[in-house]
Amino acid sequence: MNAPIIEVNLIFWVVLGVWMGEDPLQGDFPEVIEEFLQHGNMKCIAFNRRGTLLAAGCANGSCVIWDFETRGVAKELRDKACVAPITSVCWSKYGHYLLASATDKSLTLWNVVNGEKITHITLQQTTLHARLHPGSCTPSLCLACPLSSAPILVDLNNGTSTVLPVSVTDNTNGNAVSHPRNKFSDSSLPFTPTAATFDKHGDLIYLGNSKGEILIVDPKNVRVNALIPIPGGSVVKDIVFSRNGQYLLTNSNDRVIRVYESLLPTKGAAKELEIMSDTDDKFPRIEKLKEVGTKCLRLSREFQDAVTKIQWKAPCFSGDGEWVIGASASKGEHKLYIWDRAGHLVKILEGPKEALIDLAWHPLRPLVVSVSVAGLVYIWAKDYTENWSAFAPDFKELEENEEYVEREDEFDLMPESEKVKELVINQDEEVDILTVEKDSAFSDSDASQEELCFLPAVPFPDPEQQDKCLGSSLKLGDSNHTGSPFSVEAAQNGQAILPASSPLEVVGNSTPEEAVGTAGMKRKRKPSAKGMELQAEKGRKPQTKNKSSGKTSKPRSRSGDGIDTNGSVLEDDVTDEYL
Amino acid sequence: MDAAASMAAAPQPYVLQETLTSHNRAVSAVKFSPDGCLLASASGDKTLRVWSTADFSLLTELSGHEEGISDLSFSSDGRYLCSASDDLTVRIWDLAAATAVKTLSGHSNYVFCCAYNPQSNMIASGSFDETVRVWEVKSGKCLRVLPAHSEPVTAVDFNYNGSLIVSSSYDGLCRIWDSATGHCMKTLIDDDSPPVSFVKFSPNGKFVLAATLDNTLRLWHFSAGKFLKTYTGHANSRFCIPATFSVTNGKYIVSGSEDNCVYLWDLQTRKIVQKLEGHMDGVIAVSCHPSENMIASGALGNDKTVKVWVQRTEEQMED
Repeated sequence: MNAPIIEVNLIFWVVLGVWMGEDPLQGDFPEVIEEFLQHGNMKCIAFNRRGTLLAAGCANGSCVIWDFETRGVAKELRDKACVAPITSVCWSKYGHYLLASATDKSLTLWNVVNGEKITHITLQQTTLHARLHPGSCTPSLCLACPLSSAPILVDLNNGTSTVLPVSVTDNTNGNAVSHPRNKFSDSSLPFTPTAATFDKHGDLIYLGNSKGEILIVDPKNVRVNALIPIPGGSVVKDIVFSRNGQYLLTNSNDRVIRVYESLLPTKGAAKELEIMSDTDDKFPRIEKLKEVGTKCLRLSREFQDAVTKIQWKAPCFSGDGEWVIGASASKGEHKLYIWDRAGHLVKILEGPKEALIDLAWHPLRPLVVSVSVAGLVYIWAKDYTENWSAFAPDFKELEENEEYVEREDEFDLMPESEKVKELVINQDEEVDILTVEKDSAFSDSDASQEELCFLPAVPFPDPEQQDKCLGSSLKLGDSNHTGSPFSVEAAQNGQAILPASSPLEVVGNSTPEEAVGTAGMKRKRKPSAKGMELQAEKGRKPQTKNKSSGKTSKPRSRSGDGIDTNGSVLEDDVTDEYL
Repeated sequence: MDAAASMAAAPQPYVLQETLTSHNRAVSAVKFSPDGCLLASASGDKTLRVWSTADFSLLTELSGHEEGISDLSFSSDGRYLCSASDDLTVRIWDLAAATAVKTLSGHSNYVFCCAYNPQSNMIASGSFDETVRVWEVKSGKCLRVLPAHSEPVTAVDFNYNGSLIVSSSYDGLCRIWDSATGHCMKTLIDDDSPPVSFVKFSPNGKFVLAATLDNTLRLWHFSAGKFLKTYTGHANSRFCIPATFSVTNGKYIVSGSEDNCVYLWDLQTRKIVQKLEGHMDGVIAVSCHPSENMIASGALGNDKTVKVWVQRTEEQMED
């Protein structure tokens, strides 16, 4: 019965693959661990909108922001008041703010650019997942999901919270257990583990409750407007939207991940929903909500591991929504399962023997980042095979041997058709060197608001170059103070030394000393302190004043190994005056 | 009404405004800062000099390199400069403090060219050791070594969003690299492959301007892999002379030349619109101001000056 469907799928993929010049069985999903990041004990991660920065919440209450392009620490957000382990981090839409929730029941909103804390709110319970409203540039609303009670909408400006309804009963009008605008006053909280998320623009909130139902709630009036029962009716552990807002997945206690297609428009969904749910009051409330629900979500696929019936953890979509990834929640396992949207399991990635605690897919690239219980962040990427035709344009890569068919007159003594093909280039055509093409991956970029893609990289001064050279006084204006003391400290403490026995397989052409593809080589973040001292001794730099006041272990640029021995350019006499 | 205004094709000519004599040896590179307030020059006398563009006074002199400097690049906020030198290093200078803050070592031969990416968190450098290295600004760590060419690398440039790096070399090739992964994306090669002495992205990143040592400049549409425009008339067969786009008042290609002039071509028609004369030796450095109609040029050892040329308006021209 499934055969025709599979055939069609296969043909589709082969055609697609041929068109794109790719192997149809390969896809845009990662395959191997490329690298890992280490800085403190990281617990949870989140990419910013463009995937240029990665925020990680640590066990010591601080948040580390990684420059994902250079894989270095860009900033560290620290405050004396925030010392409890972070449970989740969430970026604002344009990357200016970061919301962190911690185990001491607090929520902290940080200003990423200057590294300062904006607000710090303490709630009734510890939040497991906190999400900032995705629609606004300066969000004041956030959704906080505690471990086992109803999610709350928190207003970050005044600290008030609204409990969201987690179930619908017939004799109420939908506002089941809410006390709008008040703190949750009931001391004995009902055990209602619920997962919740905003839709793409924050118009609606989708809840997955402990009865196995998806409720669509309008945050403005805290009203349940639709209800979709999940087959199986088991507790919903996670509910996640794809980046384009068209697909929703739920992870239930019955070990099944379900993908739904969203039938509502991505923008202005709340209005549509209100129209649909307001039509008539003839039917009982629940029936009405279910009816509306069928117009909002449609079950598309179910993913499960039929053999071992694994519980899933941290499922999410790829950046383009084509793939679904879920981690195995089995004890001590670091396994990632990737499915395509048609439902086929395409890959199982196995990491080191450290349990996985969080997972995120890069918004644009086929990269996945996973956090292990050891506090390390692993970066999974595609296994790169060199594209040789890029190195010489008239090379053509063949998948398999092709039989060569010579031209009719190719071996004639006087071939007729052999002539140099003159490339006819019309040099009078207009050339446009200024217009930049819009990035299609970010369709709703609001040009008026500037997005924070990078944090300014201030070079960390080399220890020797503290001397002032001869120079006239500068007439430039006041230079801004470079960075908060925290970020300086971060660079010092960052990227600790690799443990020697790390059972990793790292492939990449990113090691400075060698060229492409050195399999099995670890990507070290920096050499050990002893190694650097040895390098310094080789007399790399002439002006090594050795003003080392206990600073010899500071990270420095790594020199290639072979160069120093022929350091003939380095002069022997080092003077204070440089001219 | 104005005869000049009605002739859209003929621009106001550039005239010499300033001659900055400060260097003791040939000037190898000149660049305007991204905000246009500063002009920096690098020289074989191992120093960099930074001038104000308002009054062309000398603001700073940066010394520290042990050998002559071949190239320089400003960071996007104009606070830092990186310079490539024959002493095998790239140095990052803090302009406010007037000192070098970092030395990037790793190349095994003269470093010939360097460029900041627009995000200014990475620097690319090309060297006579035939590789391109990508460095992290913050820590000075070498992130990648690209096996770029089989001859000295003469130029490196990032595109407008920092996602691609283009490199050129005496081996006749221009190669385009993905800066995030270091993978080669494309190689541009012509039928005969004269050494490519300079390469640069167009402002929108779609085209690549390449100078070759057969007195020719070509504008390549690199994703198509073929060139669309050729600019000739100048002399360039020995030195690596940069060329650039002038887009502040009409679209032109500006390049130095070994016959001591600065050449300006109209981008579309490829005709020479002006030759700026005044230097006493080959002009091997040019740069265009980001917003004003100003060109800076630097010349070889018999001249050693930096000259600034501006386009005067009608009122300022004395007929």
